[in-house]
Amino acid sequence: MDFAFTAEEEGFADAVRRFLRDHPPSDFPADGMDAGYGSGANSKAFLRALAVQGWISMGWPPAFGGAGRPMFFKLVLMEELARAGAPFGPLAGVWQTADAIIEYGSERLRAELLPLIARGEASFWQGYSEPDAGSDLLALKTEAKRAGDHYVLRGHKIWSSHAGIATHGLVFARTSREARRSRGFSMFVVPNGTPGMDIRPITSLTGEVYHYEVFLDEVRVPEGLRLGPEGEGFVALLNGLDSDRFWGRFYKAPALERTLRRLVDHANTTRVDGVPLARDPGLRRRLAAMATELAALRWLFYRAACLLRDGAPVTYETAVAKVLADETGQKLARLGMDLLGLWGPLRAGSREARLDGEISHAYLTSLGHTIAGGTAEILRTTVATRGLGLPAGPRHN
Amino acid sequence: MDFRPSPAQQLLVATARDYLRRHCPIELVQRLALDGRNFDDKLWRGMAELGWPGLLVPGDYGGSDGSLLDVILLVEALGYASVPGPYVASAVAATSLLLGASAAQQERLLPALASGDRIATLALVEEAGSFDPAAVTLACDGAGRLTGRKLFVKDAHVADDLIVVLRDGAALLAADRRGIARLPLETISGEPLFEVTFDAVEVGADDRLTLRGDALGAALRAGALARTAEMVGAAQRILELTVEHARTRVQGGRPIGGHQAIQHACADLVRDVDCSRGLLYAAAWRASEAMPAEREVAMAKAYAGEACLAVARRAHQIFGAISYCEEHPLHLIHKRIQAASLDFGDPALHLETVARAIGLEA
Repeated sequence: MDFAFTAEEEGFADAVRRFLRDHPPSDFPADGMDAGYGSGANSKAFLRALAVQGWISMGWPPAFGGAGRPMFFKLVLMEELARAGAPFGPLAGVWQTADAIIEYGSERLRAELLPLIARGEASFWQGYSEPDAGSDLLALKTEAKRAGDHYVLRGHKIWSSHAGIATHGLVFARTSREARRSRGFSMFVVPNGTPGMDIRPITSLTGEVYHYEVFLDEVRVPEGLRLGPEGEGFVALLNGLDSDRFWGRFYKAPALERTLRRLVDHANTTRVDGVPLARDPGLRRRLAAMATELAALRWLFYRAACLLRDGAPVTYETAVAKVLADETGQKLARLGMDLLGLWGPLRAGSREARLDGEISHAYLTSLGHTIAGGTAEILRTTVATRGLGLPAGPRHN
Repeated sequence: MDFRPSPAQQLLVATARDYLRRHCPIELVQRLALDGRNFDDKLWRGMAELGWPGLLVPGDYGGSDGSLLDVILLVEALGYASVPGPYVASAVAATSLLLGASAAQQERLLPALASGDRIATLALVEEAGSFDPAAVTLACDGAGRLTGRKLFVKDAHVADDLIVVLRDGAALLAADRRGIARLPLETISGEPLFEVTFDAVEVGADDRLTLRGDALGAALRAGALARTAEMVGAAQRILELTVEHARTRVQGGRPIGGHQAIQHACADLVRDVDCSRGLLYAAAWRASEAMPAEREVAMAKAYAGEACLAVARRAHQIFGAISYCEEHPLHLIHKRIQAASLDFGDPALHLETVARAIGLEA
């Protein structure tokens, strides 16, 4: 066993910290709201700054313009960025899309998109959910009909994060009617602005826009923008879900640790009747327990990381880690609200707001985390059936 | 970073699992828990023949130069089998303390502990009910005599030596020395705990241990880690028993594990076991690498003390009525976790260590 980073990984962490000192995160304007996952706001300028360092493509094979760096460099980068509260919002999605294009993308996708991604000029929204296909993704109705060397897409997607400020959508659509429910789906990379695509914002409970719904009306997509073999989209999607859950939540523990450090400072410096809040036995114990839970969460993710790195079987590990990340985030937000008392619900920018209004924002955004990307219920079922071998429940075909 | 035990550690664990499957079945655990002594000479001798009591001890003193991490992996296997006995008290905590004693004392005391011929236990806790050494008040009078008592001393009935923590150090006293009495406390788990009283017990200069600076702290951390490992092993066993039950118990024409309410409860068992184990291994690794590990050990013990206990309690609900019976093994494993969560510091004590480590003003 070994619970430390290698000298190379430590050296890279130093380089990232130097970069963050030279490029303070607060200097970068936000293009889209921080949804609270730990990857900060969506900032195009910050994504480009990462690209200048070569860090977006560092894990790609040299044949695709990458530096062939090992997976743990990506973890080190994300951990340092999250610890500093940097706005690297789209990075995880960008990495995953690039990996899929390298693994089974068409020549056209490789030639057109990889250079764009490497320069930090591409980001992606997921067109998976639909109004009647949430947890039951396979109930989706969006269709892609072959028309010569094109497909014609028609449908209605929803809950697509930052779709309005991204460059491309990853649209999951039915390409044929098959007897088996999981067959006949394909994935398409559709540039924003393609005629027939109508992207409309949904105002969230924070008052800001994070999600969009996307109407697809006779959207023509060239065959070369299909990602993976026709009809095999669901297999690719399922394979991607483990890494999706992992990469979408890996940075949550270091980000929550940052929030906890702010709460500890607040508890030390805020006095009630002359006594620091830090000495309140109940709050003190909750803060210490939270630090402990965050350490457990971090190791859970690193264990999954080692399995993914080593190509070992992953059945339940990323599912259990995602659920814990999201429920721990909710618990920390609750603790923060309790600690701030009447100041808790004040918005960022309000007079008297504490900790930059970060806690009230986290309180609201964290509500969505156990829903997005697989609800906590769906994932617990995954742990039980795929991980523990308990019988799968009834399905309706 | 690597979560896999080394080949030597895998061999140690596989050997232990196999030996304990054959020599410590749950029926033996059950019988020993009921017989009042909760100790099996034959099992202890068998463990000694495998060299387990000497795992932490240097080769020069009859041990096998193992690391704390090796010991933790072994104790996890002991916990999985719910092995009763003084292994943690003697081979982990007392041995760790003696590893911080003078060379002469190590040479005199460690070989008999390593061979399992002698058993030692730590007498620390007093009326305050705390494993914090700062709470210790017991001390010899001006004439070098000890009068007072210690509480919750584990395995005192089978111990040859008591290591008595005093306000100004520690003394190793034969358990049958004149003036010492061992009075059993009756526990729900059958875990042998004792009140030990001292009535003008003579403590000579030779009885006093010459300890290096943080020897007591290191021994308490080793004990806390070992009881954490025991909880993790026990919780893993509960997880496996419970999932097997959920898979095979049929009600209403289908296995109860087909119901989401049961599935989700089982998913939470996995979460609690995996998180407890991650913190345990990370802390044990740090301690084995001689890195500062106070915070990590405290986190591991505090977390497992809550999470593994939650595993046991949730398992009763999943098992239903059968787990309320004495003949069913769940309550035994549950009670073991319950006892281990308190030994070497309860979650509250360890969370206070964490609170200070994260910078909360005291």
